[in-house]
Formats: sequence, C-alpha cells, structure tokens
Amino acid sequence: MKYCFYPGCSMEATAQANLKSIKAVAEALGMHLEEIPDWNCCGATVVSSVVGDFTQQVMAARNLAIAESMGLDVVVGCSSCYLSLAITNKRFKEDEHFRAVANEALAAGGLKYEGSLRVRQFLEVVINDAGLEKVAQMVKRPLDGLKVAGYVGCQTVRAIPYEFDDPEYPVFMDRLIEALGAAATEFPMKARCCGSSNALAATDIVVDSSRKIFASAAEGGAQVIATPCPMCQMNLDAYQQRVNQLHGTNYYIPVLFFTQLMAIAFDLSTDAWALDYCIVSPYNVLAPFTGGK
Amino acid sequence: MEQKNTLTEPVKYDLSFAREIYSLENGYYIKQCMQCGMCAVACSTREIMDYSPRQLFNLIKLGKKEEVLSANTFWYCTSCCTCKARCPRGVPLVDVMHDLKKYAIEQGYDQYPQAAFYKAFWAEVAGRGKVFEGGVTARYYLIRGLDEVKKALAMKDVGMNMLKHKRLPLLPPKKVRGLGDLKKIIHKAQELQRKEARA
Repeated sequence: MKYCFYPGCSMEATAQANLKSIKAVAEALGMHLEEIPDWNCCGATVVSSVVGDFTQQVMAARNLAIAESMGLDVVVGCSSCYLSLAITNKRFKEDEHFRAVANEALAAGGLKYEGSLRVRQFLEVVINDAGLEKVAQMVKRPLDGLKVAGYVGCQTVRAIPYEFDDPEYPVFMDRLIEALGAAATEFPMKARCCGSSNALAATDIVVDSSRKIFASAAEGGAQVIATPCPMCQMNLDAYQQRVNQLHGTNYYIPVLFFTQLMAIAFDLSTDAWALDYCIVSPYNVLAPFTGGK
Repeated sequence: MEQKNTLTEPVKYDLSFAREIYSLENGYYIKQCMQCGMCAVACSTREIMDYSPRQLFNLIKLGKKEEVLSANTFWYCTSCCTCKARCPRGVPLVDVMHDLKKYAIEQGYDQYPQAAFYKAFWAEVAGRGKVFEGGVTARYYLIRGLDEVKKALAMKDVGMNMLKHKRLPLLPPKKVRGLGDLKKIIHKAQELQRKEARA
C-alpha cells in the first residue's frame, strides 16, 4: 500500500511526536508513505479569513497537484490540514467552474489538478486499509487495563461529515483503542472543540474549552487521552497545568497521539513512542506497558 | 383614540449592507438561514459571544452594519464545524465566519487579538510557504504592542514547558523551494478571486 503523505507545519515543530509515531506505525502496517515533495502550508482554518476561501484552496491545491503527478492518494495526519485539503479536493471534484478557475491560478506556477485523488485521514486509513484485525495481530504489548479517552476533536470527523465516521458520535478511535487491548472510556466530550488556534490570541478560550474536556475524560475514569490532532494534543497537554491553576482542579491526564499508543503496543522503537515530547508526563501511567525499554 | 406602540411610518430596512455581505464568497448562504437557532446550541463558544450566529445573521438582514462588524462572534468562532455539520439548511457557517473575518479586517474592524494572529499567520505563510510558530508569535506581538507582551509573560511557564519538551524549535523550517511559483499562484488566485466576485 503506497500513499502520498502530507505532514503539515505542526509535525515539524510542536507535533514531532505525531510525525515520528505515524511514520513508524505506517511502516509496521506495511504502508509506504511518500512525503509530497516541497509541500507548502495548507492554510489551516486561518488563511481564508485573510485572503479568502478561493485563494486558500488554490494554495492548498498546489500540494494536491504535486501528489497527482505521483498518482497516489494523499494521507494526512493533522486534522486541520485534513480539513483544508479534503474540502479543497471535494470542491475540485464537484464544482466544475471552480476547478477551471482554480487551475487557471495553478497554471501560473506550472501546475494542474484534475481532482483525481482521495484525501484521507491517517486514522481512517489505518482502520479501512490495514484493518482492525491486522492492528490487533500486530500488538505485542497489549495495553491491558489502560483506560483511554479517545479524543477525536472537531475537524477530523466534521471536515466532511460522514466521510468515514459519525460527526456526532464518532467510534473509529474507540475501536482502535480497543484493538490495542486498552479500554475506551465513556467520553461524551470526545468530539467537542479544544479551543483551536486561540492559544496565543485568546488563551481563555483554550483554557475554558479544555477544562470541559478534562472534566468529561476524568468522569469516565480515563488515565490518558489519545487524539489524532496536533492542535488538540498541544492545547490539552501544554495548558493542562494552566487549567488546574485557574480552576483549582487537579487533572493529571497525559495526552498522546493515538499513533504513540500504537507504537508502544506494536513494540516499536522508543524513538517512535516519542514520549519525551509529552509535557504532562505519561511515564508513570504507561509503566506497566513500557517495561524493558 | 390615540394609538400607542404603533409606528406611523413603515420600518425601512437598509439592504445595502446585507447585499454586500451576501456578495462575499459564502455570503449568499446567509439567505438560507431560517433562524432556527441550531447553530447557537451547537456552538462551543456561544457563552462568550456577543451574538449567536443566528442573531448575527438576523442583524445582517436588518442592515445593522456597526453591530455586526463590531461583534466578537466571528472572531470567537473556533472553526470546530459543529454548527456547519448540524445546520438543517446547509449553511456552511464556518466558511461564512471566515468571510466575515476577512470583510471586518478590510473594513478596519481588526481590534480583536485574533485579527492580529490571523494576519501574523498569513505573513508567515506568504513569506515562507510554511508556518513557523516563533515567527507567528513575534509578528503577533509586533502588531499587538507592549501591553500584550506583559500578558504573555504571565504565560511563560507554558512556553518554557514547550521548549523543555522540544516542542518549540528556535529556528524556522526551510522555505518552500518553489516559493516563487507559490507566490505567482497566490497572486493569480487573488486576481481571479476579485474578478469572480465582480462577475
């Protein structure tokens, strides 16, 4: 199984743990991820508010055009990149007028995109292409008894509703957690917003949104939170202490990318586990599964 | 008998503002809003918004330009897409909010800190083809000024933790090699976007 891979800006900076674990997990599952050469920023949910939807989508499409020349579907890890690229791709497929005008812009850089590819979330690829049975077979260190809150976040399942999972009650993440031997906890806030890119401009929004997510995870008895999204991971990890300070709470819930849990369960290298990047230390709670390394 | 609480003149709506908003990229969808309020109950930041999206759309229809453009509603939208996924009329609220942010910036209503963040983010993308957190942060504080820097110092523990866990590279990523072509593409896209808006 070969795919084009779009890492996105955060995986080179705040979410290196995501990149390391995705690459290792994909390889273990027999997926070959070919990074899109010279990819550029997708614009996230920010750029269109400055330059407009059309310009952002053309910018995002530069990546799709390069991928199309390689003839491989695009796999994305980051939820915000997934949203931007998947919506752009959908528009290329469905809106003929848009496609023609957007290609006029792409032509200024010598590129063209026909809309022939699929843009896919890594979580969905793991479940639909590799399959949960294969995942379960790969598990060498079952995460028995580990209570995991599967935090899907907002954009993964709502970029394009019903593209692969239910936007209101997503289940893919929980099934994956269970395939690793862990227990997916009751977690009603699993698809609520973490506050998104407001960390810099309006920290209160992140603190307040995250507080509700911690409360929900704690009520379900979660020992760790697992997420596919770099933005969610950063907000919940980096601002957890701040939530405790401001709200007099005492949450201590490590936040990992689901791919990090997979890397542990598959007994891949500690480099792929990438646990040093976690701010809320996961070492104690994961000690029963990480022994000997 | 003297009539009370009745208007002697019919209410006149100024439709020019509404028409201008409807002409934005996703603006025409606002006309589909039937004021049901699903967006308001779905919204994760509704509690701190001046007006819910439903109320904002009504103000647009009523021509209340000042109220709309001064509102924090679209700046507090986190693009979580819950309203967009639930809207029974298929209004892509998130995209409308992006249009409103762009329009507000163009009209000089950029006093909210999010506007500075958006501009800083775009400046990074335009100059590098990729986003560098350090660059976005520096540009943000340049726009917002000293007061905001003082607020940032209260958050320094968060930054220090990020640094300690290798989450904040001090050097930016390499520029996109095809940055020249990317700039040409963006320039052409802007030109076409303006042309399409007039069409």
